[in-house]
Amino acid sequence: MHQQRIIYDDTTVRRFILASVLFGIVGMAVGALVASQLAWWQANLGIPYTTYSRLRPLHTNAVIFAFVGNMMFAGIYYSTQRLLKTRMASDLLSKIHFWGWQLIIVAAAISLPLGITTSKEYAELEWPIDLAITVIWVVFAINFFWTLAKRHEKNLYVAIWFYIATIVTVAVLHIVNSLALPLSPLKSYSVFAGVQDALVQWWYGHNAVAFFLTTPILGIMYYFLPKAAERPVYSYRLSIIHFWALVFIYIWAGPHHLLYTALPDWAQSLGMIFSVMLWAPSWGGMLNGLLTLKGAWYKLREDPVLKFLIAGVTFYGMATFEGPLLSIKSVSALGHYTDWIVGHVHSGALGWNGFMAAGMFYWLVPRLYGTKLHSTRSADAHFWLGTVGILLYMVSMWISGVTQGLMWRAANPDGTLLYPNFVETLLAIRPMYIVRFVGGSMYLVGFVMMAWNLWKTARAGKAVDGETTIVVEPPAPATEPAPASAPKPGWVQVVTGRPLIFAIAILTVTMFLGWAQPVRALVLMGAIVVLGEFAWMVTRRDREAGRPSWFGLIEGRPLAFTVLTLIAILIGGVAELLPTIMLKQAVPAHGQAQAPYSPLELQGRDLYVREGCYTCHSQMIRPFVAETQRYGDVSRAEEFIYDHPFQWGSKRTGPDLHRLGGKYPNLWHYTHMMDPRATSPGSNMPPYPWLAEQRITVKDAPKKLALMQRLGVPYSNADVDGAEVRQKAQAEVITADLATQGVQVAWDSEMVAIIAYLQRLGRGPQDLPAPPEKAPESPGRLPAATIASEEAR
Amino acid sequence: MSDKSLVHSVYDGIEEHDNHLPNWWLFILWTSIVFSAGYWFWFHIAEAGPDQLGEYAAESAEVAKRASGSTPASDDMLLTLAKDSGVLDSGKQVFQANCAACHGAQGQGLIGPNLTDAYWMHGGSPMAIHRVVADGVVAKGMPAWERTLGAERVKAVTAYLLTLKGTDVPGGKAPQGEPEQL
Repeated sequence: MHQQRIIYDDTTVRRFILASVLFGIVGMAVGALVASQLAWWQANLGIPYTTYSRLRPLHTNAVIFAFVGNMMFAGIYYSTQRLLKTRMASDLLSKIHFWGWQLIIVAAAISLPLGITTSKEYAELEWPIDLAITVIWVVFAINFFWTLAKRHEKNLYVAIWFYIATIVTVAVLHIVNSLALPLSPLKSYSVFAGVQDALVQWWYGHNAVAFFLTTPILGIMYYFLPKAAERPVYSYRLSIIHFWALVFIYIWAGPHHLLYTALPDWAQSLGMIFSVMLWAPSWGGMLNGLLTLKGAWYKLREDPVLKFLIAGVTFYGMATFEGPLLSIKSVSALGHYTDWIVGHVHSGALGWNGFMAAGMFYWLVPRLYGTKLHSTRSADAHFWLGTVGILLYMVSMWISGVTQGLMWRAANPDGTLLYPNFVETLLAIRPMYIVRFVGGSMYLVGFVMMAWNLWKTARAGKAVDGETTIVVEPPAPATEPAPASAPKPGWVQVVTGRPLIFAIAILTVTMFLGWAQPVRALVLMGAIVVLGEFAWMVTRRDREAGRPSWFGLIEGRPLAFTVLTLIAILIGGVAELLPTIMLKQAVPAHGQAQAPYSPLELQGRDLYVREGCYTCHSQMIRPFVAETQRYGDVSRAEEFIYDHPFQWGSKRTGPDLHRLGGKYPNLWHYTHMMDPRATSPGSNMPPYPWLAEQRITVKDAPKKLALMQRLGVPYSNADVDGAEVRQKAQAEVITADLATQGVQVAWDSEMVAIIAYLQRLGRGPQDLPAPPEKAPESPGRLPAATIASEEAR
Repeated sequence: MSDKSLVHSVYDGIEEHDNHLPNWWLFILWTSIVFSAGYWFWFHIAEAGPDQLGEYAAESAEVAKRASGSTPASDDMLLTLAKDSGVLDSGKQVFQANCAACHGAQGQGLIGPNLTDAYWMHGGSPMAIHRVVADGVVAKGMPAWERTLGAERVKAVTAYLLTLKGTDVPGGKAPQGEPEQL
């Protein structure tokens, strides 16, 4: 038996904090800029690199992955070492993790304004950067699990559970959603198309929120809140229930981003009900945070750290109530595509992530530099500026979202649209855009004050690394075998644990509910209730008898814990993704819009992606009369089967574009791209005049068709070979039309390509003979196949 | 509640209590689970409620019923409306909001043709104009407006167009189409 001194690696923690604060300022400043662009279009500055649609992905990526990412790593590195009583396993891996992550951020900051993007929200980075993310994430995982392996604390504290869930799940999400076929080092196409791509994207997108912005921060809450409050954590059993419920349920909730779209009804319903069931597990985390302060609420008055942490947890509670609410189909019908969603995510990002970060930084930095916080008053001022900023932001977005949602659907007594002109609904909410800009800017000012305060604090002290002393006991072989009671080997205890058996039994029965007849379903539901009741009784008896809990067992076995977490998150993903991807054939493969894009349309589509049009325009008309009156027929799943990637969008700052094809003449599109206000007075769309100057890469056309061919799009080899000729022919029809109206553009200009794409939306390729008479398109009764015309050509 | 006997364990100085779950929290948990089971049963097992296209069909039928009061347009009706100042005011508003961007604020023609001259691409009779406004001309990029604006506003804007006809606004776009055969 001897004593061992352990010095923690806090240098890495300091580095991550610095990076988080710096990139936080950048990310929020870009946020304030894009907010101003929505209120004043002139702020787009007329150049591609500062245009809203390219900067919005930069803002989201910077805030999520650079600000929160670095903050999360700082918190994880600091708390993990202390909770496991060991230094991080490898300083080298820590260094690679830190510098690799910063390089990825720099690559993102350069590539996104250049328009190098996959257009999948919060996963816009192109494939080489995606690969780098994978490598760095694996480095982080190795470092983390290696540290777990050499820990000096037998059982894992709840914070560590959340870190495990984060590492495992983000890896799965990132890899699946990034699957793409590269065309060049800077361009790739999602292997999924249309509905499948949408589902995979929002399974990822929603769980990026869950497992990047929520679970790691919950872990951080579980460490830093009781530390700062010097109070015990409220309830261990609440930790268990809310952790396992959260990781199991969260992963199912993705389809709530796709309610009333062309996604099959069953998947939508799963997304909705699992979101509703997330309410309590999310609030479990909030409760364990808030109730930890029980008996110490007075501390809130004097300690800015606690102010931030408690307000952060409170915003978490608000956001996780609003989330399930917005997931209810009828609420989503109103709120989806509006600013309500933007307000919702910012109550999470600014309130939860931003305030938890601030609380953690104000607590950590003085300790990391062996000194006191430079200015408590400044921290208090930051708190109030931030809080008022968030409230202005949220309230303005509520008003704006609900106003616009109601205006979109408002009808005259005869059932016609009260506001048929989209711009009217935009002008109505413009004041709210200004309020939002003010609120966001206040938040940014507070954040900059924090940066200054932390800097002064660090300068006043000097870097110190934490340390601890542990008592290392020599291995005690005598106690190990204990032959009398002959306990089963650990892994057998894990897999035969009662909670696991019951969970498997209940899940198995539930699975059959998916396709049961009503009567049988009732029997199955009864069986679930009985099983649950039985499980509850047994658990209680075990606890009263003082038997060691199965959860305690797996909390001492990181491998078993990790595997179980992985299984828990895979169930929901597999249940939703597999049928949708496998049942590809079930999508009726006919209909007008079914013929693959022409080469020029494909080139134009890439420009639509590059410019980020999806950040403001949807291509998904929902089955509401108000939408079909405004935009045209309901969008159907089979219309998107060649869309690699899908472009359904998630926000309508501008109108839906799915049935734009043929609505306006080419000249309208030209005029509109050069100066949107010339055709749509009052619009806040940025101008895109460079499209008329820049040229497409003519030679890419056959390459793109060949790549699409490999993805399963039915182009013939002749199509590929003839792509350049066909491309030019279609372009010249458009340039000739524009020329008759006095507009001269080069046939290979980007403008011509994007017009070709926009004119094709919602109908067939425009350079092929018109298909046979279009039957009235009521869902379920589709016009006969027209793919034949493509093959016959 | 947080009495010492409830301490579960201690990690890095953080005490972990093991308090009971609040009843109201359990109530939310179980209610949301029961609601979800019921929702799934109702819509996907018993199929007692409509799916989204079913809802849409019902809504469409409802709106169609509300719109059925409208009298179909005719030449005479449009000519009468063109003398009704109330209708013309609303027609002008519709024109400025939806048509002016392409046809000019005075109807002089910009992206779309001049509406003030004597030349018409698809006929200049009241019903011919009405048809173009209502159903559009996809080949020429004229949107179909009836679905978005509704029958009454299409009539009003057609009536307003009849008053623009022949005003020959100075600086108008060069004629397109055929001179109107009277």
